[in-house]
Amino acid sequence: MSVPASDKGNVPLLEARDISASYGQVQALKPTSLHIAEGELVTILGPNGAGKTTLMRALTRLTASKGNLFFRGEDITGLSTHRLARRGIIMVQEGRGLFPQMSVRENLVIGAFLHSAETDAQMTSVFELFPRLKERLDQLAGSLSGGEQQMLAIGRALMAKPQLLMLDEPSLGLAPRVAFEILGTLRELNRRGIGILLVEQKAPLALKLAQRVYVIALGKIVAELKTDEIKSHHDLARYYLH
Amino acid sequence: MPSLVEFLQSIVNGVGVGLIYGLVGIGFCVIYNASGIVNFAQGVFVMLGGMVCETLLSQLGIPLIVAVVLTIPLVAISGIVMELAIVRPMMHRGATLFAIILATLAAQIMIERITLLTFGDRPRTYHEFTTGGPLKIGDVAIGYQLFWILGCGALLVLLLWLFFTRTRTGRALRACSQNREAAQLLGIPVARMMLIAFALSAALGAIAGILVTPTQYTAYNVGTPFGVNGFIAAIIGGFGRAGGALAGGLLLGVLQALAIVALGAGFKNVAALSFLLVVLLFFPNGLFAGFGKSAKAH
Ligand SMILES: Nc1ncnc2c1ncn2[C@@H]1O[C@H](COP(=O)(O)OP(=O)(O)OP(=O)(O)O)[C@@H](O)[C@H]1O
Ligand SMILES: [Mg+2]
Repeated sequence: MSVPASDKGNVPLLEARDISASYGQVQALKPTSLHIAEGELVTILGPNGAGKTTLMRALTRLTASKGNLFFRGEDITGLSTHRLARRGIIMVQEGRGLFPQMSVRENLVIGAFLHSAETDAQMTSVFELFPRLKERLDQLAGSLSGGEQQMLAIGRALMAKPQLLMLDEPSLGLAPRVAFEILGTLRELNRRGIGILLVEQKAPLALKLAQRVYVIALGKIVAELKTDEIKSHHDLARYYLH
Repeated sequence: MPSLVEFLQSIVNGVGVGLIYGLVGIGFCVIYNASGIVNFAQGVFVMLGGMVCETLLSQLGIPLIVAVVLTIPLVAISGIVMELAIVRPMMHRGATLFAIILATLAAQIMIERITLLTFGDRPRTYHEFTTGGPLKIGDVAIGYQLFWILGCGALLVLLLWLFFTRTRTGRALRACSQNREAAQLLGIPVARMMLIAFALSAALGAIAGILVTPTQYTAYNVGTPFGVNGFIAAIIGGFGRAGGALAGGLLLGVLQALAIVALGAGFKNVAALSFLLVVLLFFPNGLFAGFGKSAKAH
């Protein structure tokens, strides 16, 4: 999809206005606004239980949520999860969300549900990023190692041709080297023009990777920082350790 | 003591009716996997299959093949109506699965009563698909309809397997059963998948009903025994596993037939339910779930 150069940077890829979500009486996400620009990599940072996952689920409407959503300026407030996927908003869930009883191949093929004619071509490009998956094609997804599962989860999301790729803590539970590798791949994908919204608790990694960081605490965004403006990690700690 | 011939004969009959149980059991699995709902109205589709087909044959005098081709989509539509009229609105209002399952039971009784009031309680049947027979092998008689049941049953199982493993929609249905949210996030319309599951499940029941009617009869109330036995078949097979339901159905059918010759017709259900209890005691997740996920994996 091509966007006129003049529009880039003006109309955000995704904009959320006053989005909020509740579990019963508890408002786990207070009305929150945020945006991701075309080609941007934005990280959401925050302590356990801050509402990061709730925010991601609210944005993809997996959890019922209030507030308005705009995609490249178009109002997509009323769309349900699978229709958002049609627009190219694809999320890798916390815990990876694989189909454990299906092979690696089938997980990838289902990833291309919306683009089944391009399944083979898409798969080839996923293997270029994650050659390891190619060696494990017929293995059940549930029997992969943690790192391989995360590669499959991202690979499967790529099969769906995301315009905006959302990832909820992809590095969770991975050895530092593997986490680094995975996050490096995300940077590469971002260079290719895919907008990325990433939940990442490892602050140093998150800061190195992202162009912008939202800090979330107690169910709302408490700070928005451009990473090149953060002079020291003390600045961040002020918000982060609330 | 039953003779060898009686013994063999009962196995032959058991395989036929067991395959029918298996198809009904697969119907249970298809809906359960797509939605988490145990559709207690599953037997109704078997009854409707036989009744609709018989009505088309006797009222319109059309050829069997035409009646079959009309009956299957008609019954499939009844499955779609059930999903749209009962299951979907309840889900939207946040009903618990228990409440929805109870509603399917209510639907079963309702449809049975409506059929009784419209068609009366006269048992009906129609001729076997191929007249003549039975085929005699020694003293064992095999009705031609059994070959139809076996042939169509095997073909159907093959087609289902191809559908679930080779087609986009079939894969999407399986994806929904393993992780609904992940399926939605990849653009799979889960609500439409449920509709497809109900239609497919109803069509399977209809085919079972069409196939089995010539070997016995159909009436407004034949759905319940088929539903119960199909349900047992599905549980024996590890609920949700289509292959397991098929094997469970065959096992159950043969066991019932053997119980009838060995102990008398009254023992048919005693045998089936004792078998179920024993299976549940020793294999709480079904006979065929040992290697994979437990029945409550999601
Ligand atoms: N399904 C739920 N029902 C009730 N409360 C929930 C539910 N899911 C999350 N919560 C609550 O909402 C708050 C935010 O949870 P959330 O999972 O969004 O946090 P998080 O920032 O993703 O945390 P973590 O870093 O541990 O993943 C927490 O207090 C949590 O207990
Ligand atoms: Mg979380």
